[in-house]
Amino acid sequence: MKILSTILLAGAALAGGVAAATAADKTEISVSRFFGACEADYGNVTDVAKANGECGIITALINKFNADSPTTHVKVDIVEWPGYDQLTARIRSGEPPTISVMHEAVISDYSSRGLLEPLDKGFKAVGVDTADFTGAAKAGVTKDGQIYALPFDTHTWLWHVNLNLFKQAGLVDASGNAILPKSADELLAQAKQFKEKTGKPYFVSTLANEKAFYYRTFETLLYQQNSNFFADPTKISLVTPEAKTALTLLKTIFDKDYTTKNEDYAASVAGFSNGEGGVFICGTWLVNSYDEEAKKPGVALSNGYAVAPFPQLYPGSPKVWADGHSWVILKANLTDAQRKSAYEFLKFLWDNDFQWSRTGHLPTSQKILTSAEFMALPFRKVLSPLAQNGTALPAGVKRQFGAQDMEGEEIAAAMRGDKSIDDALASAQDRINTLLANAK
Amino acid sequence: MAHAQKIVGRRAGDRVILGAVIFLAFLWVVPVLWVLILSFKANSELMLSTGSAFRLPYTLKNYADILASSGVFRWFFNSVVVASLNTLATLILASLAGYGFARTEFPFKNVIFVLVLLGLAIPEQAVIIARHQMFTDWKMHNTYLALILPGLSNAFGVFLMTQYFRSIPMDIDEAAMLDNASRFKIFWRVLLPLTIPAQATLGIFTFLACWNDYLWPLISATKPEMFTLTVGIASTQTNFAQSEGLGFLMAQAVFAGLPVFIVYLFFQRYIIQAVAGAAIR
Repeated sequence: MKILSTILLAGAALAGGVAAATAADKTEISVSRFFGACEADYGNVTDVAKANGECGIITALINKFNADSPTTHVKVDIVEWPGYDQLTARIRSGEPPTISVMHEAVISDYSSRGLLEPLDKGFKAVGVDTADFTGAAKAGVTKDGQIYALPFDTHTWLWHVNLNLFKQAGLVDASGNAILPKSADELLAQAKQFKEKTGKPYFVSTLANEKAFYYRTFETLLYQQNSNFFADPTKISLVTPEAKTALTLLKTIFDKDYTTKNEDYAASVAGFSNGEGGVFICGTWLVNSYDEEAKKPGVALSNGYAVAPFPQLYPGSPKVWADGHSWVILKANLTDAQRKSAYEFLKFLWDNDFQWSRTGHLPTSQKILTSAEFMALPFRKVLSPLAQNGTALPAGVKRQFGAQDMEGEEIAAAMRGDKSIDDALASAQDRINTLLANAK
Repeated sequence: MAHAQKIVGRRAGDRVILGAVIFLAFLWVVPVLWVLILSFKANSELMLSTGSAFRLPYTLKNYADILASSGVFRWFFNSVVVASLNTLATLILASLAGYGFARTEFPFKNVIFVLVLLGLAIPEQAVIIARHQMFTDWKMHNTYLALILPGLSNAFGVFLMTQYFRSIPMDIDEAAMLDNASRFKIFWRVLLPLTIPAQATLGIFTFLACWNDYLWPLISATKPEMFTLTVGIASTQTNFAQSEGLGFLMAQAVFAGLPVFIVYLFFQRYIIQAVAGAAIR
C-alpha cells in the first residue's frame, strides 16, 4: 500500500512537473473577465459543447484554448461584474491585464484616453473577418473609424411571453401564437383586457433596486419614434415630444396597475416563472432558462413560453436598446510574442462565437447568425433580426453607464409620481449633460 | 404591601423589557437565518421561488463550489494576515499615541490632537485616489504592506485610547514613580493592563473593519493571488447571481462571515465588558 502511494505521488509530481514545464514554455497572457467562477463544474472541461451558461462556456473555452495552443497560455483573472473600477486601478498602477472583457457601451471611455489598442491590422493578420461583424456588433466596437474590440455578443431587450395566460386572456391567434400589440393604444387595450380576464397585470417588471428596465425600455420607445436624442454625442435631448410620449406610456402602465410593482430583478425573474403576469420585458440571457422551465409539467410556463422582439408600438424604426460583451487589448508594453498570443486568443474566441451564442446572447458573426446550427437553437429564428436592429448609444457618447443610470432614476421618479413627467425629463437632460460636459 | 406592589411592578416592567428585547433579537436574527437556509438550497430552485427554502431537499453544493474555487484558501489566508497584522499594529500605535496625548506634554500637542480628530471626519473615498497614486508611485500595489499600511492611520483608535488613558487617575502614575518606575515601565506594566477593555473594543472593531474592507483591496490587490476574501468571493459571482445563483451568493455570505462570527463567540465576554465599560466611563 505504501509502495503504491509512493508510486502515485511520484507519478503525480512528475505529471505536475511536465505540465508546469509545458506551461512555462508557452507565452503567458492574462485575461480579465467577469461571468463568475465555476471551477467545481467546469474546471477541467475542454469539450465546450458540454458546458452551459456564461460561466461554464467561457471557462470551457479558455480550458480548451490552453489545452490546444502550442504557444500560448491564458492566465485568467476573474473579477466581480462589471469590474471597471478594478480595471482602471490596474491600468493606473501600470499592471493592466493583456486582454479584458468590456461592455461595448464602455469602450469609448477607454479608447478616447488612448488606453486600448486599435485591432484592425491585427485582425486582418490573424484572419478575423471584420466584414462578417453584424451591424450591431460593428457599431458597438468601432470608435472614430477604428475597431477597438472583438465583439463577442449582442444582448438586447425582449418580450418574454406567458402563452398560458395570454390564452386565458384571449390574446392568442388560431395557431396559438401570442397576439402582440402594434401600437401604444393597442397595448393599453390588451393590458386592460388581460387584467379583466386573468386578474393579473399584463407586465412583470423589474422596477425596484434597478435602473436598467427604465432606460432600456425608454430608449427603445424613443428609437421607435425615430427620436435622435443623441444627435450631438456630447449632449442629450430629452425635453422632446417623443420622450414625453414614451414616458407618458410607461407612467400610464404604472398608474393603471398594468404591471407588477416593487419587484427587484430576482423577484421579477421568479415572478414571471410563477405566472404573475403575461409579459416580462427583459434580456436575451433568460431565453434558455425559461425555455427549459416551459418543458417541465405542472408549472406556470408549462408548454406556454414564447419570446419575441420588442413589438413596434410607434411607426418608426425597429431599433431596440442593445449592448454587447467584447474583448479589448489594453495598451501596455507587450512583447511581440505576447501581442501575437493575444491575437491568437481573440481569433480563437471569434471562431467559437457559436458556442457563446448558446448562452442566449446573439452572435456577432453574420455567418453564425444565419447558420443552421444557430437557427436550430430555441427561438433564435425569431430573434435573429435583433443582431441588426439592436442599437447602442452613438460611439462618441462617453460615460454611457452613468448617463443611463441617471436616465433610469428620473424615469422611475416620474413613473412613481415623485416628479411630473416634464420635470423628470428636464432633470434627466440637465444631469446627463452636466456629466457629459465634465467627461474627458 | 407597597414594597410588594413595587416588586410586582418591577417584574412586569422587566417582562416588558425582556419581551421587547426578544422581539428585537428575533427581528435581527430572521435575516441571518434566512441567509443560512437559502445557502443550503439549489440555485435552480431559488430562481423560481424562495418559498422553496422551507421544503426539502437541501444541498451542500453551494459550499462545495466555494471550496472548489482554487483561490479561496489563499484569499482566506490573505484576509487573516492583513486583518491580524493591521489589528496588532493599530493596537500598538494607538496605545502609544493615546498615552502620549493623555500623559505627556509636548509642543503643539492640542493642535496635533485636533488634526488627528479631523481624520475622523474625512471619509476614505475622499482620499482614495491620492492614496492609490501614492502606492502606485511606490510600486507597492499587490503587496501585504499596501493592504495594511492605510489602516494604521486610525484616528478613532488614537481618540479612544487617549480618552481611556485620560480616565485613569494620575495617582497611579505618581505611585509608580515613587517606586522608581521608568516612564516606559509605567506605560507597559501599570497603565497598559488597565486599558484591556479599550484594547478589546479597538481590536475587535479594527479586525472587523479590516476583514470586511472591500474598496481598498478591490483597487490595490488586483491580482487574484493577492485578493482578500471579500474581493475574491465577490469575483466568483456570476453576472445574475441575485436570481440565478442566489444559493451560492448566500453560501458566500455565510462563508465570509463565519470567521467574524467565531471571533464574536470567543471574545463576546470581552466585547460586553468593553462596551459596558466604555458606556460607564
